[in-house]
Amino acid sequence: MEMDDPKLSDDEVVTAVLNGRSQDYEILVRRYSGKLIHFVTRMTADPDEARSIAQEAFLKIFQNLPYYRRENNFSAFIFKVAKNMTLNWLNRQKRTVFFSRLLGRELNQAPFRQDLPRLSPQDRSEREKLVTSSLRRLPEEQRLALVLKVYLEFSYKQIGEVTGWSVPKIETLISRAKGRLKKTILLQESGGESVYHARKK
Amino acid sequence: MNCQNVIPVLSAYQDGELDPALAKEVGLHLRDCAACRGEWEDLQELGRRLRLPPPASDPFFPTRVMAGLRPLPAGRHRLLQAASYALIFLMIFLAGFLLQTSTNGLAKAERLPAATYSAVLLEPQGLGLMAVHEDTLSLFERERP
Repeated sequence: MEMDDPKLSDDEVVTAVLNGRSQDYEILVRRYSGKLIHFVTRMTADPDEARSIAQEAFLKIFQNLPYYRRENNFSAFIFKVAKNMTLNWLNRQKRTVFFSRLLGRELNQAPFRQDLPRLSPQDRSEREKLVTSSLRRLPEEQRLALVLKVYLEFSYKQIGEVTGWSVPKIETLISRAKGRLKKTILLQESGGESVYHARKK
Repeated sequence: MNCQNVIPVLSAYQDGELDPALAKEVGLHLRDCAACRGEWEDLQELGRRLRLPPPASDPFFPTRVMAGLRPLPAGRHRLLQAASYALIFLMIFLAGFLLQTSTNGLAKAERLPAATYSAVLLEPQGLGLMAVHEDTLSLFERERP
């Protein structure tokens, strides 16, 4: 089987892997790694940690392939696993910060530190910093829904398949997230003279 | 349609998630209402600014994933696992049955209350959790000198 043969559906590749051709799993890794890393990066605001979480997610997905139901929806299956692992990581970070504050120590953990984590040169723009820090301040559910919509271009139905939420809930979460971001990004990026601000006068 | 109906659905309109009839009404309202059009333009501007490039691709990522894979349990292994659970269950059940029979045979004069059941629960993944009926336990107590 050729590496990422677009003619092969995800389910066909899964069947091949389950029939003993483990090496074909690389087709799925190549097919989804970009999106998966993008998703986790936007959720965690930490590109290095995102790669590590994405790698763990792919290993977990592989071990869980026998339990995958072939409904031609492998994408929802893998993003569900990645979403759970990302939220677990975020919760662990929160707990670490909570206990370290309890002990009176300052932490320098990614979601809470003031400066952004090490970014690749192309990511160093001011705009990216502002967007990343604004996303990081969103409540977790709003961030998750918005990241799936904006960066992965999932429909509300697909977001529902990954998160288990209803379409009206997703609509509300995304609308609220945009409302918050409008206030932070549009106001800050234009140095107070934003379109948003001007219109409110 | 008025502004109060339009503002809450603007985000879904932007995401292309509105019913086509409703989307058409929103579009008509935006053409005529400057205040709602302002909100709409802000949303569009936000959409543009949110767009970020994906992180730089890592050509070694798939290789690292593939190097970390552990072999999947083969179908035959899964069958063997199920068969071993069944065998263990059967053995425990037989042991309970034999124990009950032998106790009844030894003490005819003083008939012990018959043990009704030995229930064995096997967790699907971890071997072990065993529940024994209290009548079975009482048999052991009676046998002590």
